[in-house]
Amino acid sequence: MAGAKSALVLCMDVGFSMSNSSPGEESPFDLSKKVIQKFVQRQVFAETKDEVALVLFGTDATKNPLEQDEQYQNIVVHRHLMVPDFELLEEIEHQIHPEGQQADWLDALVVCMDLLQKETQGKKCDRLNIVLLTDLCTPASPDKLEVIVENLKQAEITLQFFLPFPVEDDEEGEEDGEHGDPGHPGAGKGLSREQQSGLEMVKHIMLSLDEEDGLNEVYTFRNAIEQLRMFKRIERRPMAWPCQLTIGSSLSIRIVGYKAVTEERLKKMWITVDAQTNNKEDVKRETVYCLDDDNETEVQKEDIIQGFRYGSDIVPFSKVDQEQMKYKHDGKSFAVLGFTKQHLVFRHQFMGSQVVKIFPPKDDEHAGVALSALIRGLDELKMVAIVRYAYDRRSNPQVGAAFPCIKQNYECLIYVQLPFMEDLRPFAFPSLENNKKILSFRYDWETQLSAVDSLIDSMMLVEKDESGDLIDLLKPHHIPNPAFQRHFQCLHHRAVNPGTPLPPLEPWLQAVLDRPEVIKERCQASLEEIKRKFPLTEVEKKKKLKTSAQIFGKDSDEANADKGKEDEAEEEYNLADIAEGSVTSVGSVDPARDFRLLLKQKSLPFGEVCQQLTHRIEQLLSNKNTQYYMKSITCIQAFREQSVKMANTDLYNSYLQSLKRSIPSRGLEVFWDLLVQDGVTLISSEEVSGSLISKNEANEFLKAEEIKEEAAAPPAEDTGDVDDLLDMM
Amino acid sequence: MAEWNTYYRNEDEEEDQEEEEQSGGEYKATGRDSLVFLVDASKEMFIKGEDGESSNFDMTMQVVRSVYTSKIISSYRDLVALVFYGTKESKNPRNSFKHVYVYHDLDEPGAKRVQEVDALRGDKGAQLAAKTLGSGETSLGDALWDEPHEGDGVKDRQARTKAGDLKETGVVIDLMHLMKPGGFDVSAFFCDIISPPEDEEELGVQMEPCGKLDDLRKRVRAKELKKRAMARLSLSLGEGVNVAVGLYATAVSARKQAPIRLYRETNEAVRSKTRTFHTETGSLLLPSDIKKAQVYGKKQIVMERDEVDSIKKFDDPGLVLIGFKPMEKLKLDHHIRPSVFLYPEEEEVKGSACLFTALLKKCSERNVFALCRCISRRNYPPRFVALVPQKEEVDEANVQISPAGFNVIYLPFADDFRTLDPPRCPYASQVQVDKMKEIISKLRFKYRSDAFENPVIQKHYRNLEALALDMVAPEEIEDLIMPKVEQIDQRLGPLVQEFKDLVYPADYNPETKPAAKRKTAGAGGGASEKKPKVELTEDELRVHVQNGTLGKLTVPVLKDACKQFGVRTTGTKKQELMDALTSRLGS
Repeated sequence: MAGAKSALVLCMDVGFSMSNSSPGEESPFDLSKKVIQKFVQRQVFAETKDEVALVLFGTDATKNPLEQDEQYQNIVVHRHLMVPDFELLEEIEHQIHPEGQQADWLDALVVCMDLLQKETQGKKCDRLNIVLLTDLCTPASPDKLEVIVENLKQAEITLQFFLPFPVEDDEEGEEDGEHGDPGHPGAGKGLSREQQSGLEMVKHIMLSLDEEDGLNEVYTFRNAIEQLRMFKRIERRPMAWPCQLTIGSSLSIRIVGYKAVTEERLKKMWITVDAQTNNKEDVKRETVYCLDDDNETEVQKEDIIQGFRYGSDIVPFSKVDQEQMKYKHDGKSFAVLGFTKQHLVFRHQFMGSQVVKIFPPKDDEHAGVALSALIRGLDELKMVAIVRYAYDRRSNPQVGAAFPCIKQNYECLIYVQLPFMEDLRPFAFPSLENNKKILSFRYDWETQLSAVDSLIDSMMLVEKDESGDLIDLLKPHHIPNPAFQRHFQCLHHRAVNPGTPLPPLEPWLQAVLDRPEVIKERCQASLEEIKRKFPLTEVEKKKKLKTSAQIFGKDSDEANADKGKEDEAEEEYNLADIAEGSVTSVGSVDPARDFRLLLKQKSLPFGEVCQQLTHRIEQLLSNKNTQYYMKSITCIQAFREQSVKMANTDLYNSYLQSLKRSIPSRGLEVFWDLLVQDGVTLISSEEVSGSLISKNEANEFLKAEEIKEEAAAPPAEDTGDVDDLLDMM
Repeated sequence: MAEWNTYYRNEDEEEDQEEEEQSGGEYKATGRDSLVFLVDASKEMFIKGEDGESSNFDMTMQVVRSVYTSKIISSYRDLVALVFYGTKESKNPRNSFKHVYVYHDLDEPGAKRVQEVDALRGDKGAQLAAKTLGSGETSLGDALWDEPHEGDGVKDRQARTKAGDLKETGVVIDLMHLMKPGGFDVSAFFCDIISPPEDEEELGVQMEPCGKLDDLRKRVRAKELKKRAMARLSLSLGEGVNVAVGLYATAVSARKQAPIRLYRETNEAVRSKTRTFHTETGSLLLPSDIKKAQVYGKKQIVMERDEVDSIKKFDDPGLVLIGFKPMEKLKLDHHIRPSVFLYPEEEEVKGSACLFTALLKKCSERNVFALCRCISRRNYPPRFVALVPQKEEVDEANVQISPAGFNVIYLPFADDFRTLDPPRCPYASQVQVDKMKEIISKLRFKYRSDAFENPVIQKHYRNLEALALDMVAPEEIEDLIMPKVEQIDQRLGPLVQEFKDLVYPADYNPETKPAAKRKTAGAGGGASEKKPKVELTEDELRVHVQNGTLGKLTVPVLKDACKQFGVRTTGTKKQELMDALTSRLGS
């Protein structure tokens, strides 16, 4: 079926009556322009191969292939059949205006039919469609009506009408319980004679094309805009996976599997472009390999082999050997290992990212009967099949469960992957019943529980309406993925309005993700009760405060406050000293503390202790994680503080300088930003007289531009400095 | 590891001291666990069971080995040590403790260590143990107090106070003992030094030494995995009612580890550095020199990097309660990724556990789930999730089978469904269904989620193990997800034929494709007549090789060419095929 696409003509009335509207209301012209815009937007972002043409009528000019001797006047083929793009969107935005003429909408329809027939020749189109947007105010000559209907039928062209008013008063709005649309302007009543006769013709055409549902294809502008506000759902044709379900060696049933549910992702990735030129060719990425030695010796790609870690060892294991020794199997399989009770397969142990539905092949009724016997048998026994599933020879086999699924129109097996032993993490969690910590909060357990009861009552999303039918107030699987909606909204905005900031989230999207209004109101009281019955107190995060508040502030007040803290800290260290025995090196648990303690003990020379500390910092930084960054900063702060104390600034200053140089090549920008935020700079001569750094230099040190300049320098040199520094110490 | 089931009625003593990372604190930074096996090596340990059962010592060594090897697989960065006590020989840092033998210092497990533990197994192992360790006086006190704490994540402090001090530094002592009916009840003796439940973490795991001790492997295994929250979030029931919760991944697809690049000459690990630079000037590009773009309908749409992030941001991370639904509204096929587990975080918001418990209890009683909107991390778009209540369950031995908490089931959006077109097929009659039910009943078994090992991963690690330990051949694996065809056939007996007679006509063969699908067979048409084969003459191929244009040919053509000239290939990758052909025809 590849290559099948549809061809569609948007046929819009731009005649003078279209701009008429009652005060405060949007004109039919504005509304139908919106419909077209939204529709084309969706097409552009869905990147379908469907082709779209645009025909305008009621135009001052005439430009169409059928124009001849005063016939088919005031009709313009604005764009021929082709894949819609942003150009079309811009044209709609800027070039389509209300015009001053009138044209027979049936003539316009004929132009569209002609266009479709001529321009789809040689193209594989499985659907031809014309969308007509008009207010039906122009008189149309009905004499050609029957010929048109005949031609539409013959060419298998489908038709959709978009009108400012509903085709029948009661028909619209009631459709599958959709909440009533308030205020179609001029709903049914107040139509002019032209409009009424036009409407009769519309009905006649639509019912001749499809006796039963023909009128469903007549929409109002407002309804259309509402339905089109969402970007198109990403659609993918499921791939058939033919296989055989086997039970033992001699019973097999032919099956076809289809991926039925899987987390859909956006097809497009972001590409990287140069900020100045917006050109992707200007940006190049390169990966080089180097040894973990002082010089970071570069290694050619050809000289690299692969290995795997086996605990503390790394075992060289070439791709060829790996391929030869790896687990191999016979390919495609859906083999039953046995059957088990459904309740033994836990929902929360479903693995993988997809659900496969298993059907019999379309043309094989024997397979259909055999599979049906299995599905019904499983269903009656409340059991499932545990199966080995292998997609093909290259993919890894899985173990999974095939559940019976019996629906009104079809039966199938639902296959879901189950865990391997290696996947499970049987964590033990403290019991919640009779837990001492909780018991203290259960001062009135029964009323506390009934508060929760009424919360559940007030927040039930599924309820019976007056007629006893169950209504579900929020079905996530009917909501389009908000991430995609937002993504396309922003892309569209940027494409059409370059240079302006991104728009806020659309209100309808925000609303659809939130509690339904009914629930919001209904749960107020019970929520208040919960608040009263269950006191919740946030615990202050001491640790975090300590890290950022530590050491220095620029103004004296803060410095004093910090001094107090420091004293406290020292107290603590002394106690720790006594309790924990002596520290012999800078460990990784609390390197800053160890560092301070070691200096206090004076058992090792200052340089050596500093070296141990910087070694730890380098280790921490190699982890690229905020947690580690915070810890590194604590270390650097300790380093600074002690260097000031010892009046020995060289080691600290040169370390910080080389660290800064290595930021770009190590991708540590985030870390640097944190350091800048905390204002950890060089020690200036103002603080310690021996320092070679002026106050100005210290202040300038943290400014961002400098990093940029440094970045241009070859990175190998930069990182070399760090090692040199370590060696020097 | 299956042999463990047979051991669980032995008498054994074993403690297992574990340094648990305290959540949220500095410990987290190191991200490593340490595990010390402290094993009784006194004479009694070497006595074999009555029915030729392995000695307790032998069995313990098997546990140690299996923990070593599984640590290697799951978390090689964790540190393990093996210490014997009750030995005649002594070996510890300053030899200040008698009868304590540090066999393995605290370090990452590796091939050598596995081999060394292997050496202690079986009869030979017992002899070796007798020679190197000897059996002496049992002095648990000395063994326990000498913590060979070195390396990362462990404080090297000689705490000679009581066990309480150990706990304060994050050491958790866990007793793993096995008891024969009527045997000496060691738990009474140990109860003073084993960490009381409350201290293990805020809420306290109820892991009291169970009276009836069973499956040792299971307990060791459950212990060896570190439990860390993947995210700490607030669950908002409404304005100002925020419960602190942690998300835990309880089932994660274990994958084969990623390969490490090594330098061919020295087998050193190689680091990779990726740089972004300007194509013309060659200067390095900083993040600020780069923008992101997508192309739609011939138009390039450009955004700043932080705009790309901001598009994904809807709200701060957290769970927001939308409402409740009856359990039957949770559809089986609404599955897009493995679930995670939700548990209160009392340390963040006091009172969380209480409200959480009440909610859990009521949801469970009323058989409803909570529908929430979930943003699990910064700049992640929202997803709807179902919080499904799970009650705590323990087995006869008081070991937790499932903890109390909510399972978080991720729900699909409209985009995640694919439109299927189910075929219309006749349904089976009751006779046919009943026959299938007989078949189903014959093949009934009790499913357990931990019953199936992943053959791909197992094979990979056996291969590595063989290479690392210089074994002649890798240990064979048993592929547990292969159907036991013979047993199935035997069990079903004549049922299969009876079922086939009921559903298939005599001339129907499900193994072949149906006749309808085969197009009107042309002369000599068969399955092989799929595509016209593009065969190359030897001369043509030589020209390609000489001109270096082999790459223009497709893989199937190259494969055919290989077959045609009897060229053996190392693989089916295009490059491999081309290399093979070049080396054959190029000369």
